[in-house]
Amino acid sequence: MRSEGTIWRSLSIPGVVWLVLFVVVPAYAVVAVAMGQIDALLQPVPQWNPLNWNVGFVKEAFTSVVPGGTYWPATRNTITYVAVTVLLCFAIGYPVAYYVARKAGRSKGLLLLLIFLPFWVSYLMRMLAWIGLLAPDGYVNVVLGWFGIGHTEWLSGNPYSVIAALTYGYIPYFILPVYAGLDRIDQRLLEASRDLGASPIRTFLRVTLPMSWPSILAGSVLIVLPMFGDYYTNDLISGSPHTNMLGNSVNLLVQGGSQKNLGAALVLVLMTILAVGMLYYLWETRRQQEKLAA
Amino acid sequence: MMGRGEVHRMSATTTPEPAAAPPAPPAPPMRPAPPVRPSRMPGWLGNPWGRPRWLRLTTFLYIAWSLLPVLAAVVFSFNDGRSRSVWQGFSTRWWWGDPNLSVFHDPIYTNALVHSLELAALDMLIATPLGFLLAIGLSRWRGRGSGSANFLMLVPLTTPELAMAVSLLLVFTQLSVLPFTAIALGTTAQVIGQVTFSVSYVVVIVRSRLAAIGPEYEEAARDLGASARQSLQHVLLPLLLPAAFASTLIVFALSIDDFVVTQYMSAGGETVTIPMLLYANARGAATTPALNAVATIMVLVTLVGVGGAYLVLRWFGHRSGEAQGDSAGQMGMDLTGME
Amino acid sequence: MEMTAQATTVPAIGGHGGEVRLQSLEKRFEDVVAVDSIDLHVGSGEFFSLLGPSGCGKTTTLRLIAGFERPTSGDVLLDGESLAAVPPDRRNVNTVFQSYALFPHLNVLDNVAFGMRYQKVGRKDRERRAREALELVELGDYAKRRPHQLSGGQQQRVALARALVLRPAVLLLDEPLGALDAKIRRQLRIELKALQEEVGTTFIFVTHDQEEALSMSDRIAVMHEGRVDQVGTPREIYEGPATLFVADFLGVANVMEVEVVGSGAAGCRVRVGDYELLAGCGDLGLTGSASVVVRPERLHVMARDQGGENCLPGMIDRTIFVGSNLQVMVRLATGALLQASVANDGVDLDSHEQGRPVSVHLPPDALRVLAPAGVTPAT
Repeated sequence: MRSEGTIWRSLSIPGVVWLVLFVVVPAYAVVAVAMGQIDALLQPVPQWNPLNWNVGFVKEAFTSVVPGGTYWPATRNTITYVAVTVLLCFAIGYPVAYYVARKAGRSKGLLLLLIFLPFWVSYLMRMLAWIGLLAPDGYVNVVLGWFGIGHTEWLSGNPYSVIAALTYGYIPYFILPVYAGLDRIDQRLLEASRDLGASPIRTFLRVTLPMSWPSILAGSVLIVLPMFGDYYTNDLISGSPHTNMLGNSVNLLVQGGSQKNLGAALVLVLMTILAVGMLYYLWETRRQQEKLAA
Repeated sequence: MMGRGEVHRMSATTTPEPAAAPPAPPAPPMRPAPPVRPSRMPGWLGNPWGRPRWLRLTTFLYIAWSLLPVLAAVVFSFNDGRSRSVWQGFSTRWWWGDPNLSVFHDPIYTNALVHSLELAALDMLIATPLGFLLAIGLSRWRGRGSGSANFLMLVPLTTPELAMAVSLLLVFTQLSVLPFTAIALGTTAQVIGQVTFSVSYVVVIVRSRLAAIGPEYEEAARDLGASARQSLQHVLLPLLLPAAFASTLIVFALSIDDFVVTQYMSAGGETVTIPMLLYANARGAATTPALNAVATIMVLVTLVGVGGAYLVLRWFGHRSGEAQGDSAGQMGMDLTGME
Repeated sequence: MEMTAQATTVPAIGGHGGEVRLQSLEKRFEDVVAVDSIDLHVGSGEFFSLLGPSGCGKTTTLRLIAGFERPTSGDVLLDGESLAAVPPDRRNVNTVFQSYALFPHLNVLDNVAFGMRYQKVGRKDRERRAREALELVELGDYAKRRPHQLSGGQQQRVALARALVLRPAVLLLDEPLGALDAKIRRQLRIELKALQEEVGTTFIFVTHDQEEALSMSDRIAVMHEGRVDQVGTPREIYEGPATLFVADFLGVANVMEVEVVGSGAAGCRVRVGDYELLAGCGDLGLTGSASVVVRPERLHVMARDQGGENCLPGMIDRTIFVGSNLQVMVRLATGALLQASVANDGVDLDSHEQGRPVSVHLPPDALRVLAPAGVTPAT
């Protein structure tokens, strides 16, 4: 049966070759550029040989994201916006997921469809929708005017708009895994809890919530990862450097042209931060699984 | 006859004979619990059969909040004026009425539309078979290299798209080694970028289907005399067909909606897609509701594709007797490409 | 040696091949030993059961014969030929899977015809033979249905037809009745046995249900922790269990810890608490501590004053009425609890009332001496 092993491996080969060429090699290119030099025309000169690496840009990148550094405001914004967005996604998304998964009854199918819909509306289209509504003469200001709230500039450097837009943009990705997690909980466990004398609220706090914790983590990871590379939300909703996130900094450095080395180094910083987060996530999920297995 | 009550009574007594075990101490008398324990909950919260009104309200508000703005943007594509925020009456001028500025007449929009569809078609054609084979291979291939291949497959799913876009940009512009020198920014680079992240979605969808199928059908085929290749061809492939179809449509939708990688791999005018147009012009003061119209087209195209995928999956499911009732949700999950 | 000794006990039925030998067959998964060096001989045309609790290695053994697993060491011989290097599709052995594994994308007829495609049977012959096989299992009218439109019992019969139509030398059945409800199971048990006698193919049947194994098999191998504890006819296994495990797994067995105090021509004398009993079968050469097993239906519960030889005094702890008989739990003076089964032939219920002093007669030929728990008998 040795020949059968070869069949499976040969089926994988095209995909693996593709991933090596367009994931592994490019990842190394980022390192080579970050560890490379810059020429007289301000163009990066990648250093492919690890023995000749120049750590200057990486050092600069790491010192720029801590308090006092050039990119500290962007880092601070990123951390604040992401944290607030995750909390908002939980506050709004969890009840919705809970209702659809456990309480919707016969309307579950329809509600699921409605919750899935935003998935298939392009992120940029959904931002476009808010640009129209938040415009100075848009309906948000019109409605707020009815309540006597004066004209507000939502689209020029307003961090609240950015957070609202991030929440609006990413919340479907949070709801889905949480819904799946809640849907999987065995109804009999909840009935057992009620039977043993726990009130609905205690049942929720002591059974439902702990059991959905892994899916809350998964949902959070799912939205945190892309937010660390997000530059378009801010560009579209704020357009001001005042509310820049790390993604904006990387985008400006790399697509702006003149400082690709530092941009690549900043990508490495970003990936380091995310790697730490992912390691925590993996550790936490393993801990959860062990708890269940025990 | 021995009734239930008697058995119960007997079990309470223990051996009075010269038994080895000492007689059990008499149990303390049990005070009967009150038949109904008092609730400390206010009535409206404590009633377990009551409708969860607050949850329902939250859900309906959420759905309204998530969909109405998009609907508003669609409605504004029919605005009679140039504004995308103030309603000035109904017209179809930005769709086809205006001979120069409407979606179907302005080459900026038609080009983007055509290019978006072109990229989506190429992405589907390449990523689906690539990912399909990789999924089957990875699910069976044990041994040296399979672990790293599995890890590699997950990388595009767990990396911010921006990091992928930057890495691809740098490798195409800085690495002077074949095949990278042969690839210039533009359509080719865009397709490569899109395929690279789409493949992982295909693998995830096909693999979850493979896991659901389990090894038994294949073993049965082998048992009945089919070789490894024949069982793949006559049993596994037909069973995986719905997943292949669904993942094709997912790839299509991913490609149509993709912005970051497509933008980084683009090379000016000819390679602009609809999301790139949205990014560039959404805030522009001179932008007309035609932008809303083109965005609407993109949404409709995606929804038609996904809806079709859903119907086909349901048909397949019905035919093989799976998918009764609750699995509609599971299918929805399959369609979003999420685990 | 052992092989030849066993071969003599193998009944020779059928005679058209399908003789399976397992030689020192071993399968490890990582560091777990699933099948621990077993030797078995299944005769041609035999209905042979592998019986044991879940995790005893019976399914792995079946999968090794089918070819889905490769043995870590040892060999599987089919009619004298080694199968170790033969993939499942080239073994003249077919399987009925626990979940039937009927292909959901094919109709019943195509499912049954599936295997003949690879035996290079012509299209017309394929269909004819598939229809015949469906007639054999009385599902001729269901040819065009999809598997999911059939009931569990019908699916099971399609799976049988699909395997038998290939005329395998050996048919492997992996708990084929496990997913069905009790009534259908009982009915299919009879049908399956009749079918096997009709086609004469060797059946190797995996089950954890002792009643199933006892009622259908020509011979049974009782498996326990990857090993074969005992091989024999249903009667041999039930009445002469070789180990405590076999005694316990097949039916209900009373086990008493005893001390062997002497042996004679009629059997050996064992001490239970303050009493001595004569045990007439089992491992009569044992000395020191041992176990004695006795089936509930072999015990006689009598009034206390009727006691005599090989009787132990006790008191009725509880009597459970189960219809055809009474289960009488007797607390012996030694402290042990014995279960006796008393046929309900109009027996006086009051005489088995709780608390009544009784005398339990244990006939010597019902007392079987075995090595105590945790000690495997030397083979």
